[in-house]
Amino acid sequence: MLDLAQIYNGYYLEKSLLSVMPEAVLIIFAFLILLAGLFSNFSKNSVNSYYLALIGITFSFLYLFMLSDHTIKGFYGSIVFDKFDVFLFTAILLSGFLTVLMSKNYFDTRNVLIPEYYSLILFSISAMMLLVSSINLIMIFLSIEFMSICAYILTGYLKGESRSTEAAMKYFVLGAFASAFLLFGSVLIYAATGHLGLYNIHNFMSQQNYKLLYHTYNVHTFLVIGLILLLVGLAFKMSLFPFHAWTPDSYDGAPTPVTNLMATGIKIAAFGVFIRVFTSIYNFNVFNFYNILWVLAILTMTFGNFAALLQTDLKRLIAYSSIAQAGYILLGVIAGGYYGISGTLFYLIAYVFMTAGAFAIVIMFENLNLTSVDIKSYSGLGYKYPLAGAAFSFFLLSLAGIPVTSGFMGKFFVFSAAIKSGYYWLVIIALLNSAVAAYYYIKIIVKMYMSDNNDNSEQIKLSNGSNNTIVNTVNANNMDLQTFAESGGGKTALTETVLLKSTTSALIIAVIICLIFTLILGIFPQPFISFASRSVTSLWNI
Amino acid sequence: MNINVNDYLIVATIIFCIGALGVLIRKNLITIFLSLELMFNAANLGFVAVSEYLNLMSGDIFVIFIMVVAAAEAAILLGIAIAFYREKGTIDIDKANELKM
Repeated sequence: MLDLAQIYNGYYLEKSLLSVMPEAVLIIFAFLILLAGLFSNFSKNSVNSYYLALIGITFSFLYLFMLSDHTIKGFYGSIVFDKFDVFLFTAILLSGFLTVLMSKNYFDTRNVLIPEYYSLILFSISAMMLLVSSINLIMIFLSIEFMSICAYILTGYLKGESRSTEAAMKYFVLGAFASAFLLFGSVLIYAATGHLGLYNIHNFMSQQNYKLLYHTYNVHTFLVIGLILLLVGLAFKMSLFPFHAWTPDSYDGAPTPVTNLMATGIKIAAFGVFIRVFTSIYNFNVFNFYNILWVLAILTMTFGNFAALLQTDLKRLIAYSSIAQAGYILLGVIAGGYYGISGTLFYLIAYVFMTAGAFAIVIMFENLNLTSVDIKSYSGLGYKYPLAGAAFSFFLLSLAGIPVTSGFMGKFFVFSAAIKSGYYWLVIIALLNSAVAAYYYIKIIVKMYMSDNNDNSEQIKLSNGSNNTIVNTVNANNMDLQTFAESGGGKTALTETVLLKSTTSALIIAVIICLIFTLILGIFPQPFISFASRSVTSLWNI
Repeated sequence: MNINVNDYLIVATIIFCIGALGVLIRKNLITIFLSLELMFNAANLGFVAVSEYLNLMSGDIFVIFIMVVAAAEAAILLGIAIAFYREKGTIDIDKANELKM
């Protein structure tokens, strides 16, 4: 393959520009989409922008793979492109690709401006990638704001729907509030250390005697308060427990493809930058940051799971469950080290596929206008649409962490890393939490396969009582029900074709991609985990 | 009287707290946004004071970026406020009550 570094050696490209090549390609395509939208305005043709978005993401992938062997620092130490970026860029681009695939179907039936939507999606993906690769507080702030501003607009994109506007408003106020905390934290860190680059701050803190330094203020106190405020700002974006308030509302009100982008892409980017900040600054453990994060992780997963139990709206349920998943991911970060971080990265990429798959099926059902996102309206859908129902159950089981799925392997890597680091109680609490989570995920599956004249569902309902055996019983029952439903004769086949006709092939492709990867990540995790481990090593090359 | 960097940082902290209280207490969307601007500008004041004290440039550069971002956010918030006003006839955030558990 063409080696871009050779082009650099010929001085055709500035080195800094090379470090942001994948992002730059996306931004160029975002502008191209806007231009194309201008010219195709008269023909009302939305296809161009959709294909341009897909091509842009593909090109970005291509540049990513061409650059993947290099470590390039650019823009005076604000941005670094390394192996860690390669992994997270892949995850973010996949999340963006799946979002674009889902979007066409969703927006065809709604009266909104199409080209601007796709260009905003591309802008926000590039902002996420910039955020992951930034190693400077200025760059972190700028790319968080870039990402968030795109997300605010996308959240309120359904013009004339008051829920969407309200979600955008709540997201904006809380998001800007969080950014202000992040900024003030940076002020105090800057006052204490005199640096804004993460590596410079790292070097400053690795001096043994920095606590004795004294300007006109106490350096250590300022550093601690600054780090706490910075953590608050980042925790908002990761939607950890006390700072989660925006998550359910904005997930609920946003258009479903955008919800998918927020649940996967933005979460990955937030965790990516948190891992960078954590490994370079927080791991000095000034002021017991490990204990603070420990408590945050427990609170986040417990709150997320118990709040999800009470939900009747599917999108809100997934929102609360994504808060709980953030708790598990944070567990991997706390476990730290080589295993912890690589387990976290694996969990993130597994999380992309299962969440995107679940949202794709939700869009499929939403498009039929047969059902809202209320869980009650999902009852019996498993019989009417056996294939879609089976796929949806598979994604939900993966989110619950049942073996053979990617969710199980992700949890396995994260929890085993935490045990290796000696956090036994944390892992026990997390395991209890995943039992609670299994209850509400399987509740949806039970709803889907529960119809009036069926006594099988009664058994499933009864087996919900005991948490330990629930997994196997329901799994087995599910298999029976699926085979039963698939052999159910011509009537089900007819309704299934209605569903398939109302969905475009892009959405079905998205579901199939998610299904395949969820299965592969669950059965053969080895190549992916070794990819993650290889990418982690670059984190400590400061 | 000699004003040193500590005094600037204390003033910045006070402004930041006033802004945070404003966001939490106020009900009008525009007032909330002004409080957010107050928080951003508290950070600006802190950066300018610290970078003057430490004789560095990077803080000043950060301030310029913060001002640009604040302007962009103003545009977005006013857009959201107009959309909200069209739907509800008010910009009182207590009327934003459709999304609840």
